[in-house]
Amino acid sequence: MTGALIRVELSKLVRSRRTWVTIALIDALPTLVALLLAWTDLGPRPGTGPAFLSAVLTDGTLFPLAALAIVLPLFLPIAVAITAGEAIAGEAQQGTLRYLLVRPVGRTRLLVAKLVAVMAFVVLTVLVVAVTAYVLGVLLLGNETVTATGPATSVSGSSMSTAELLGRTGLALGYAMLCMLCVAAIALFFSTVADSPLGAALGTLAILVASTLLITLDAANAVQPYLPTRYWLAFVDLFRDPILWRDVVRGVVLQGVYVVVFLGAGWANFTTKDVTD
Amino acid sequence: MGDPPLCSVFEVTPFRRWCVVALGTLLLIGVPIGLRALPAAESDVSASALLERVRASQDAGWSGYVETEGTLQLPDADQFSDVGALFGEGTVLRAWWRDADHWRVDQLLLTGERDLIHDGGRTTAWDYERAEATVSRDPDIRLPRSADLVPPELARRFLDGVGDGDVSRLDARRVAGVSAPGLRIVPSSELSSIDHVDLWADPDTGVPLRVEVYAGSGKPAFTSTFEEFDGARPPAADVDFTATPSSDVEYDDVLDIADAANQYAPVRPPRTVAGLAKSESSDRAVGVYGEGLTQVIAIPLRDREADALRDQLAVTPGVERTDGTEDGPGRTLVTVGPLGVVLTGTEGEGGWLLAGTLNRDGLVRAADDVVRGFRYVGRG
Repeated sequence: MTGALIRVELSKLVRSRRTWVTIALIDALPTLVALLLAWTDLGPRPGTGPAFLSAVLTDGTLFPLAALAIVLPLFLPIAVAITAGEAIAGEAQQGTLRYLLVRPVGRTRLLVAKLVAVMAFVVLTVLVVAVTAYVLGVLLLGNETVTATGPATSVSGSSMSTAELLGRTGLALGYAMLCMLCVAAIALFFSTVADSPLGAALGTLAILVASTLLITLDAANAVQPYLPTRYWLAFVDLFRDPILWRDVVRGVVLQGVYVVVFLGAGWANFTTKDVTD
Repeated sequence: MGDPPLCSVFEVTPFRRWCVVALGTLLLIGVPIGLRALPAAESDVSASALLERVRASQDAGWSGYVETEGTLQLPDADQFSDVGALFGEGTVLRAWWRDADHWRVDQLLLTGERDLIHDGGRTTAWDYERAEATVSRDPDIRLPRSADLVPPELARRFLDGVGDGDVSRLDARRVAGVSAPGLRIVPSSELSSIDHVDLWADPDTGVPLRVEVYAGSGKPAFTSTFEEFDGARPPAADVDFTATPSSDVEYDDVLDIADAANQYAPVRPPRTVAGLAKSESSDRAVGVYGEGLTQVIAIPLRDREADALRDQLAVTPGVERTDGTEDGPGRTLVTVGPLGVVLTGTEGEGGWLLAGTLNRDGLVRAADDVVRGFRYVGRG
């Protein structure tokens, strides 16, 4: 029963024109950056641009990571918050939630199906961004000799074989997906609370903006390790030599806690809520 | 009569659902906070024994993850901007230390890494964002760099000349998961601007794990602490560096402005300033005076470097400017926490830059002594 429900939700996701427009918009930013870099051959000054952006002028195969660093702080979480925020609140606003629950599907199963669909959106978006960035990186960026022959240079200056680079890139993409699962869990909770999808998305974004702001504030040092966005960019540590697992592990655990707590709260709220819409 | 079905015994009511969520949340948040709050095991080691143990650890190998926090807002002058960042901001370091001649300290940045790899008398500085490795010899005199800020190195410098009478025990503290006995060092010299330095050391190896520098009784002006620590000597491979084909490798004869001045400035500073003796290692143009918690460096600057720095000092809060008189030379003086900076002379004259942990009066005395006591030598 849950499988059928998931298939329905996935089918809705893939057939929705909005899904592909959103993905295209997210993909447009790193694409624009790649074109500008290729045109001007001008990297960011050290310490100013997103991670890996200066390195792609030497090695184009690193552009998927730069693209990830470009979309992860803002574009991707906004898209995930909007998509997940609409999951329950959108059905309620359209008046279809009541009819969905008339069928013997169970509210928990519906919630799981919605979560799976949101995560499918995340996976699809991250992969599209990564593949586009790789193609652009190899075709437009980097020194051709370095890009073609390798090895790549780690953040610590040592060499990384192609297999190592691919493995670490896979880990970084998986880590980014987990971070977005956290956003999805928060948005899904708000979606069970708010009457409108916009309210759910804005609630989620308020948490993320507050978190991002507090990270820059020295006075908030004591709470920073618990902020949801604190370890998002820790995927850079996967490219140090040796890999620095400290923040990556903390990030995984912290995202896990947020996912468990907000999914739990969303489940408790949704399964006890009076649905009239 | 059978048992009632489980679902009727554990009926999932809305209240119970929320209780499960609340309990789970409390556990997830409370357990790590509780573990962090575990008190440190106290140690009965005496202050002098701990001082001896810390001193004996200087040849120990170790590795770890270090965070430093500086509150010293130094003037942002070009040639000294890296030093200002080290003492005025937070720095995250990862270090592998085999011995004093073989180590690697990585400064971790969100966008990359700036590493120092030391091999014998040679240091390679790696900058990821510039894809550049710069090799230089180890000069006699140089400005502070990231590797000087790891707790063992910081403690080593502060403990020079410290005797048993200058130290007392502090309660143990958990640092990097270790119950570390503490030591307070109070400078014996009245010239020092440092009120005291607190350090906590690994009870097994004696390696300092946390160092706090105080200018007064408030919060520390500078802190360096291990967040993760391994007391085993790291393998040689961890402190090795081989540049990749896509990296630029350059060789630098001059490391920084202090090294340049020391090599090429045709002057020699006096043997003593403010009653502090010049160190044996400073036998050329730059003088390093005093030791431990009472130290000052005197660097001769050419007019264009001195003017730029003087302009920056002039806009620093609390600056004290004095024109030259018969009683003493002109100077621009700034004190930032325990760090005092004075630049002698006026615009277009060049000048001597003195920086160190001397109080205001000590710094003025030292500046006057340098200006009166330096001599010109032929270029050699």
